[in-house]
Amino acid sequence: MKKKKNLNLIIGGILAGAVLLLIIVGIFWLPYDPDAMNIDLKHAGSSWAHPFGCDNYGRDIFSRVMVGARTTLFVALGTVGIGAGAGILIGAFTGYFGGWFDEVMMRVIDALFAFPSILMALVVISLLGSGKYQVIIALGIAFVPSFARVVRSEYLKQREMDYVKNARIIGCGHLRTMFVHILPNILPVLIPTVMIGFNNAVLAEAGMSYLGIGVQPPDASLGRMLSEAQTFLFSQPLYALYPGLTIVILVLGFSLVADGWKER
Amino acid sequence: MSELVRMGANDAGIGVSASPVLEVKDLNIEFLDHSMPETVVYDFDLSLGEGDIVGIVGESGSGKTMSALAICGLLSRKDMKKRGEILFQGKELLTCSRAQMRELQGDDIAIIFQEPMTSLNPVQKIGWQVEEALRIHTEMTARERYERAIWALTEAELPNPEKVYGQYPHELSGGMRQRVMIAAAIVCRPKILVADEPTTALDVTIQAEIIELLRKLNKEYGTAILFISHDLSLVRKLCKQVIVMQDGYVVEQGLTEDIFSHPCKEYTRKLIAAIPNCDEVKEEKDFSGGEIVLEVRDVRASYFTARGVFGKKTEQQVLKGIDFTLHEGEVLGLVGESGCGKSTLAKVILGLNKQYSGQVCCAEGGVQMVFQDPFSSLNPMKTIGWLLEEPLKIKGKFTKEERRDKVLRMLKRVGLEPEMAERFPDQLSGGQRQRVAIGLALMSEPKVLVADEPVSALDVTIQAQILELLQRLKEEMGLAILFISHDLRVVYQLCDNVLIMEQGEIVERGTPAKLYTDHKHPYTGKLLEAAGIDPAMIPRG
Repeated sequence: MKKKKNLNLIIGGILAGAVLLLIIVGIFWLPYDPDAMNIDLKHAGSSWAHPFGCDNYGRDIFSRVMVGARTTLFVALGTVGIGAGAGILIGAFTGYFGGWFDEVMMRVIDALFAFPSILMALVVISLLGSGKYQVIIALGIAFVPSFARVVRSEYLKQREMDYVKNARIIGCGHLRTMFVHILPNILPVLIPTVMIGFNNAVLAEAGMSYLGIGVQPPDASLGRMLSEAQTFLFSQPLYALYPGLTIVILVLGFSLVADGWKER
Repeated sequence: MSELVRMGANDAGIGVSASPVLEVKDLNIEFLDHSMPETVVYDFDLSLGEGDIVGIVGESGSGKTMSALAICGLLSRKDMKKRGEILFQGKELLTCSRAQMRELQGDDIAIIFQEPMTSLNPVQKIGWQVEEALRIHTEMTARERYERAIWALTEAELPNPEKVYGQYPHELSGGMRQRVMIAAAIVCRPKILVADEPTTALDVTIQAEIIELLRKLNKEYGTAILFISHDLSLVRKLCKQVIVMQDGYVVEQGLTEDIFSHPCKEYTRKLIAAIPNCDEVKEEKDFSGGEIVLEVRDVRASYFTARGVFGKKTEQQVLKGIDFTLHEGEVLGLVGESGCGKSTLAKVILGLNKQYSGQVCCAEGGVQMVFQDPFSSLNPMKTIGWLLEEPLKIKGKFTKEERRDKVLRMLKRVGLEPEMAERFPDQLSGGQRQRVAIGLALMSEPKVLVADEPVSALDVTIQAQILELLQRLKEEMGLAILFISHDLRVVYQLCDNVLIMEQGEIVERGTPAKLYTDHKHPYTGKLLEAAGIDPAMIPRG
C-alpha cells in the first residue's frame, strides 16, 4: 500500500499559494492604479479589461483586491509576529521557571483573555488613533494570551524531560536551555498554532476595517472593501464577492496547511 | 523450519496434554501500514494445556508481544494481515466475528499489561473496574458482583480489599495497582491469562511477590498462563516451558530447564550468557589511598507539598543524612527500591536540587550523568554531532575543527561509527543511544559519572555491552562511577563497593562479596532473596 498523500497540506498549499502569488505580483505590477477613479466605469461589470469589474468610483476591483490582500496579509503577519513573539517569551519564562512569576503572569493573561479581542483592539485604537500600524499593535496585544498559554503548557511538559536536565548538567545556561534546546521541540505544536492565529488575524483585520476602525481610506484592505461594498450589496453584489472570496481562500488555505502539518 | 521446531518441541513434551486450551499454528503477522509490507512474526506455534505456564522470551522487536496480542484479539484487523490458526478450545479466533471475540475477551482470555500506572482508568473506582468484566459477561446482581470483586481482590492478596474497592488508582502504589489488574483479570475465572511483562515496571521485592501470586493462581484454579518477558531469570523461576523468539522467528522451544541447561541455538546461548550472574571471584581493591573525587556529608533533603497556593505545607523527608566518599577509579553501587531517595540524591550531587542541607564536595571537572531512558535523555530535534559538541561550545575554548575532532574521537571511544554524527536520536537503537548519552556525559572530561539505572531500559545482550563499555571507560579514563541500580547482579559484576539504601538512609555498605554472603541488615537480605541470589553461591575471594 502506498503512503497516504497529505491532501490537506497539498490543497491548503495551493489555495494559500494562489493568494500569495497574487500579492507578490501586486508588489511589482498592477493592472491599474488601485486609487485611480474613472466615472465612466462606475459600477462596470466584468470584462476582459476589468475582470472583477469596477466599484462605485470606477476603480478596478482586481487591482484593489491585489493591494487589499497585501495590506491584510501585512497586518496579519504583524499581528502574529507580535502575538507569537511576546507569547513565546512569556510562555517560555512562565512554563520553564514556574513559581510566583508564573502565577502572576497567568492571572494577567487570564484577565486579557476575558476581553473579546475586538473590544481590546477598540481600546487601543481609541488611545492610539486608527491606521494600519495601530491595528497591528492592537490586534498583536490581543493575540498574546493564546500563544502564551500554548507555549507555556509545552514548556511545562518539556522541562521534565531528561534531555533538559542533561542540558543543565553539561553546563547550559537557562536561556540556552530554553531557546536552543527546548524551543525546537515545541515547533510541531507551535507551527499549527501560528497558522490558526494567522487566520484569526486576517479575520480580525477584516472585521475591524469593516467596522471602520481599521485601515483608513483610500488604502485598500479586504475588510475595508467589504465595508464599502455593503452599500451596493443589492445593485452590485459582485463587488462584495471578490474580496470576500479572497479572504475565504486565504483562511481556508492556511487552515488546511495547519491541519496537514499536524498530521505529518 | 517451523516443522523442525515443532517436532523438537513434541520430544520435549510440549503439547502432550490431551486437549490443549489454546493452540496456535503457523501464525504469521504482517503489517500493511507501511509502504513496504513487513512481517513481524513468522510461523509461530504454541500449545497451551490447562494449568500450563509457558514463557515467551526475546528482546525488543522479537515479536513476542505481537504474538500475545494476536491471541487476545487486540491487533487491528485493518492494518495487519494474519495467517495461520489460533484455536481456543477448538474455536478459530482469527476468523471469528468481533462479537464472538468480545465474548471471550475478559471472560475466558484475560490480559495483564506492563504498566500498572496507565492500564487502570484514573477516574473510576477500583471496585467498578474490577466488576466491569462481570457486568459485560454475566447476569450477576450488584450484590453478587460486589462479592465476586471482593473475592478477586482477596485472591490478588490486596490487604483490606473492602477499602481498596472504594479507592481510586492514584491512591495505590505500583505493586498494588498491578494486583488490582490481576484481580480484574481473574474476576471471571479465565482459562488463559496473558501476562505481558507484568513485573518489569515494579521493584524487585514486589516483582517476586507478583510472580508468587501468579504461580498460586495457576495452581489453585488451573489457569493457563502465557508469560511474556525479557527477563530470563524470571521466566526460569516461573515457567515450565519456554519459547525463545528473535526477529519474529521462534528460535527454540521446550522445557525451561532443558533449554537453560542445554541451549541448542547460538542465540539462546548468547541470551543466557548475557544474564548477569554472581559467580566470578571479585578481587578486593583498596581505594583509600586514591584521590577523593566526591564527598557527600550528612546530606538531608525534604520535599514540601502544599494543597493549593495558600494551603499549609507538609514536609516529607527524602534524604535523612547520607554520608559516603567516592575515590578515583572506584565504582560505587547504590541499590534501593523506588521511593528510597536515590534519584533525589543524584539530583543533589548534580546540582539540580539545591534545597538540601549538608555538604557535597566534588573534584575539579565536575560530575556528569547518564540517565535511565536513552529515549528521553537526548534532544530529539538535534543531531548526535550537535549534541556532543554542545558541552564544548559552552566551554567556548575550542575552534570548530577541534570540536569536530573531539566529537569523532568520542564516538569512536564509545564504539560508534563516525557517520552517526549526522543522525538524529530516533534513527538509533536503544543501545546506540545509550552509548551517545555516555559519550555526551564524558565530553567535558568529568572525574565522576553518576549513572542512574543506565542499563535497565535495555535488552539483556545490549545491557552486557553497555556494562562492558562502562568498565572499559573507567579503566581508560580513571573515572569514578556512582552506579544507581536495582539489579543486584549487575551491581555485583560492576561495582567495587555497594551502598544499600532504604527510605532515605544508607542501611548497609561494603564490598559486594561481603554484603552478599554476610549481610547484617534485614533489608539487604530481603533484596537478595527477591533477586534469587543465594549467599552460598557467591565465591569467596
